[in-house]
Amino acid sequence: MSQESQVTQLPKETITFNLNDRDITVPKGTTVMEAAHRNDVYIPHFCWHPGLSIAGVCRFCLVKVDNRPKLEIACNLQATPGMKVSTLLPEVKEAHKWALEFHLVNHPLDCPICDQAGECKLQDFYMEVGKYKSEMDRPKVLKPKALNVGSELVLDTERCILCDRCVRFEQEVTKTGALGIFNRGDRAIVGTYPDKKIEHNYQDNLVDICPVGAFTSRDFRFKQRVWFLKDKPAVCPGCSTGCHVNVYAKPEVRTYFRVKPRESAVNSHWMCDTGRKTYKHLNQDQRLRFPVATDTTGKRKRVSTAEAVASLVAQLRSVAVQDVALLVSPQYTCEEYAAFFDFFVKKLGVTKVFQWREPTEKLEEFDGLLYRGDHNPNTFGLSEALAKVGLPKDVKNGFDDLARSGAKLVVALAPEIGFQFPSLESQFQRLSELPFVSVWTTSAAAYNVQAFKHLLPLKGFAEKRGSFLNYQGKVGELAHPFPAAVDDAHDVVEVVTAVADVWAHAL
Amino acid sequence: MSEAKPKIILRTEGLPDQRSIKTYVDKAEGYTAVRKVLGGLSREQVIEEVKQSGLRGRGGAGFLTGLKWSFVPKDMPGPKYLICNNDESEPGTFKDRYICAVNPHQVIEGMIIAAYAIGANKGYIYTRWEFQEEIGYLETAIKEAYEAGFLGKNLLGSGFDFELDHYSGAGAYICGEETGLISSLEGKKGQPKVKPPFPAVSGYLGRPTIVNNTETLANVPWIINHGPKAFRQWGTEKSPGTKVFSISGALNKPGVYEVPLGYPFESLLNDEGGGMQAGRSLKALIPGGASAPVLTPTECEGLTMDYEAMAQRGTMLGSGAVIIIDDRQSIAELLKVTIDFFAHESCGQCTPCREGTGWLNNIMDGILDRSAKPDNIERLRTVSRNMGGKTICALSDACAMPVMAFVQKFSDELHAYLAAGSGSHRQ
Amino acid sequence: MSVFSESLQAKIQSFLTRYETRRSAILPVLHAIQDEHGWVSEPQIEELHHTYGLDRVHVKEVISFYDIYKDHPVRKYQIRYCKNLTCHMLGAREAICRIKEHITALDAQLGEDGPFSLEEFPCLGKCDGAPVMLVNKERVEYATVDRVDEILAKYAPLPKL
Repeated sequence: MSQESQVTQLPKETITFNLNDRDITVPKGTTVMEAAHRNDVYIPHFCWHPGLSIAGVCRFCLVKVDNRPKLEIACNLQATPGMKVSTLLPEVKEAHKWALEFHLVNHPLDCPICDQAGECKLQDFYMEVGKYKSEMDRPKVLKPKALNVGSELVLDTERCILCDRCVRFEQEVTKTGALGIFNRGDRAIVGTYPDKKIEHNYQDNLVDICPVGAFTSRDFRFKQRVWFLKDKPAVCPGCSTGCHVNVYAKPEVRTYFRVKPRESAVNSHWMCDTGRKTYKHLNQDQRLRFPVATDTTGKRKRVSTAEAVASLVAQLRSVAVQDVALLVSPQYTCEEYAAFFDFFVKKLGVTKVFQWREPTEKLEEFDGLLYRGDHNPNTFGLSEALAKVGLPKDVKNGFDDLARSGAKLVVALAPEIGFQFPSLESQFQRLSELPFVSVWTTSAAAYNVQAFKHLLPLKGFAEKRGSFLNYQGKVGELAHPFPAAVDDAHDVVEVVTAVADVWAHAL
Repeated sequence: MSEAKPKIILRTEGLPDQRSIKTYVDKAEGYTAVRKVLGGLSREQVIEEVKQSGLRGRGGAGFLTGLKWSFVPKDMPGPKYLICNNDESEPGTFKDRYICAVNPHQVIEGMIIAAYAIGANKGYIYTRWEFQEEIGYLETAIKEAYEAGFLGKNLLGSGFDFELDHYSGAGAYICGEETGLISSLEGKKGQPKVKPPFPAVSGYLGRPTIVNNTETLANVPWIINHGPKAFRQWGTEKSPGTKVFSISGALNKPGVYEVPLGYPFESLLNDEGGGMQAGRSLKALIPGGASAPVLTPTECEGLTMDYEAMAQRGTMLGSGAVIIIDDRQSIAELLKVTIDFFAHESCGQCTPCREGTGWLNNIMDGILDRSAKPDNIERLRTVSRNMGGKTICALSDACAMPVMAFVQKFSDELHAYLAAGSGSHRQ
Repeated sequence: MSVFSESLQAKIQSFLTRYETRRSAILPVLHAIQDEHGWVSEPQIEELHHTYGLDRVHVKEVISFYDIYKDHPVRKYQIRYCKNLTCHMLGAREAICRIKEHITALDAQLGEDGPFSLEEFPCLGKCDGAPVMLVNKERVEYATVDRVDEILAKYAPLPKL
C-alpha cells in the first residue's frame, strides 16, 4: 500500500536459473516460488501468498532441484545461478498426490453446501493431481463450524487446512493479531480468542486469501454458485484511494454479487470491507429504473429518454444562463466531466458550478492501510476538469453556496454511492425546494423524493467506460463494463450528447 | 569385558555430595578446561579441537559438533546465544536427567567453552518441566558457578562475559527439536522453524544460535583438557568417545551407564544391565528411543552400540535410549503406544505430519479394537512411507520409520492380533 | 484491583524484565500462576493482556499447546501417569485402571472436591523406575498396581472400594 512513491528501483544483482526448461532471470534473493509467480509458471501451493511472509507449512509446492534426492518446497528456496528446477517431473506429480491426500484426510465433504465450491484450491488440485481413490476409511476429526468471528465473516474450523495465511494477515497486514492457531497436532484449530471478534474494516481479505471454505463472506453466504458469475476489472468508487477491483455479476439476471480486490501497485492484494459493498447500489432494487418528467398538469410520470431530454432542453431555454447552476458529485469519470462542462460551461456559459460533497466529511482521515476520508473516487479529476474550464477548483461542498446563488434551474450529478453520505437525504430535501432540478442519478433514493420533477437514470461505475484520478492523481481505468442492469440507463457522456444534440436542433 | 570403563561424563557419580561445585573442582578437574580456554586459546582453536575429536551430537541427530559450531558467522556483530537442550523427551531416554543429577557442573563448564567458541555471551539451559528435581539441581549449580566467578562478567579476567539462565519447558516433546526449542524460548508455541535460515545464522530472536544436547556439552571440558587424540582412544573411527546410555525394560539393572561407543549390545544388556529378568527373553530391541526402528533378536546378534552399526541395520543410535522388549509384550500394543505418542506430540504445523500421525493413530485404534480390515495393517506402512522426507522437522519421519519397521518385522503377529477378534467385530 | 496476589504480581514483573523480550516471559509467568492457582483463568489472561502487555491470543496459544497448562480448574493432586513404552510394559495399564477406580469412587462422594485427577502422559524420563507417575511436581517411581493404594493414601484418604 505504500508502494506508490517508493518505486525508485535500485539496480539489483540478477541471477539466471532454469525452470521447466526455461531460463529465467530474477533479482538475487528471489525464491523459486516468486520467480514462478512472476513468470506465469504455476506451482501448486496453499500457504504461500505474495502479500504475506513465508510459512512453509502446507508442504505442497514441492519441486525437483538439480539431482537432490529430496524434493524441496519452492516458497523457501532461493534461486541460485544455474539451478535446474522442475515442477513437471513424474516424481513431483506423485508427491502431490499424497500431499493432497493428507490435506483431505479430515476435510469434511461440505462441497454441496460450501460457498467456496468452484474456487476452492482443494477442489482444483484434486482435479489436477488427486489420487481419486482415497484410502481414508476412518472417522474424521470434528471441529466447530459456522462460527461468528466478525461482522463480515463466517468461520468453519473443520474445513480449515491450517495454512496459516489468515494468522499472518492479521499479524502483518492489519497488525491486529486477532487470530491464532490453538492446540497441537490434528486437534489444531484456527480462531479468535474465545468470544472475541475481528473488528476491523479488512475482514473480507481473509475470505479472499483462505484457499478453502473456512473463512467465507457473510454477505455472499449461500447467494450464488461462483461458476455462474462473470467478473470484470474496475476501480472501486468508495474512496479516493481507487483500489483496483474485480466486480462479479450474473449478467443474465442483471444482478451483481460481490467486489474483490485485484492486485496492483495502488492496493497490493487488498481492499477494505467498505469498498466491497459498492456493488449493492447497482442492483435493480436500488436503481432508478426509468426517466421521469412531469406532464402538463405537473404530475410526475415515466417518460422515454428522448422525452426527458427534450423536457430538459425546453426548461433550459426558458431561463437565463445566470439562473442555471450545476451541482456535481466527485464520483463521475473524467470523461463525463469533460463532456458535461464542455456543453454546460463552455457552450452554454454556465458559471455557477458547485460540488456535491458530504459536509461532515473528514478529508484528512486515513486508516493507515487503504481507506481514506474522501469517500469519492474522482475528487482529483473533478478539480482538474473545473480548472480546465476556468472555474475554481478547490475542494468544497457547494450546497450553501448553491442555496445563496439564486439559481432557478439546477442540473445535478448526484453521488452514485450514497451509503457513506449521512447528509444525503437532507441534501435531497434542500435541493428539491429549488424551482427546477434535473437529477441525474443511478439511485432510486432520488425518485423517492416526490418534489424532484426531472430524473435521468445513469449507469453505475461497473457499467461504463471512463477513468478516475485517485488521491495521487493516478489513473484508474473503467474499461470493461457490464451491460447496465437497467434498460434506460446511460452514462453522462451519452446523456450530454443527446442534450447537446436536441439543444442544437432547437436553435 | 572388564577393562576399566572410561568416565568422561559421569565423573562425580557416587561421590559424596556428587553435584556440588567443590566435588567437581576437587575430584573431576572442575573448571580447569575453562581456565585453559580463557587463558589463551582462540575461538578457532577451540572449535578445531572439538572438530578433531569427532564429537557427535548426543541428543539423537549425531551431527558433528565442531562442524555445527563453525557455521556461526565469525564476524557478525550483535548477540549470539548458546543453548543447552535439556528437554529430553524421547521415550526411553533418561540419561540427560541423570547427568544433571550427578554432574551438572560439567554441563555448565561445557557451555562456557562452547559459548566462547561461537562468541556467545548469553546462554540458556532449557529443561523439560517434568524434571522438577533436576531443575532445582541446575539452578543450584548455576548459582554456585556464579558465586565462584565462573559465570558472569569478565570471567577469570579474560574479558569474556557469559550469563547463564535456566528456562523451563511446559510439556511438549517437539521442544526437543532445536528450532522448536528456540520458538518456545521466544515465548511461543514450540513449533519448529522453516530452514533455511539455520539457527547458527538466524536462531533465537533471529540471532546466531547454537543448540547442543546436555551430554554433548558435558563432553567438551574433557576434550579440551585431554585433547582429541585421547578422546578418540574410545569408540570407533566415526563414533569416537563414550556414550551415556539409558537402558530400561524387563531387565535386572535398568539404569544409566557410560560406556565407550562401539560397546557390544550384549555386554550392555547382560553386564551393565544385569541381564533379562528371570524367565524373560528378548523379543525385540528399540536401540535409540521410540523413533528408532525396532530390531529383532537376530538383528541384535553382534550388534555394537555406535552410529554406523545402527545405520547399517536400518535403525539409529539416536539418544541412546535402549528399550528392551520382552517376550510377554504385545507388539500391537507397543505400536499403538508409539503412534499415539507421536500423534499427541505433533505440533500440527505441517500437513503430512499433522494429518499423517493422526491418521495412523486412527487406523491403529481400528486395529486394536479389531474393527479394521486386514488391509489396514499394510495401510500403516503406506501412510508412513508418504509422511517422510517432506516436513519442516523430523517428527514425521520419527513416527513413520518405527511404524514401518514394526509392521514389516512383526507383520504376522499384527495379523494374528487382528484375526483374534470375536466375529461380531469383523466384517 | 488485581486478580493476582502481591507476591505473584512481583514474580510476573520480574519475569517480564528477565528475558530478551517480554513475550519470552509467557511460559514462566504461566508456571508461576499455576504454582499458586493450579490453572489459568480468563480474568487472569485478561489482566496479563491489559496490565502486563502479554497479548491474550499469544497466551491462549501457549496454554493450548503445552500439556502442563490448564485453562479449567484442577484438582488438588494432578496425577500424570506415563503410558509410554517401558512403563506400558511394566504395568502402567493395570495401575492406571486402579487409580481410575479410586477416582471414580472419590468423585462419587466428593464431586469437584475429589482430590485426584488423572492424565495419561507421555514418557516422564525415568524409565528405570517404571512404571512412573507425577503427582503435581513429585515424581513417584515403581507405581505398580499393588502399590497404588498405599501411594495415593499418602495424599488423601481413600474410601474402601
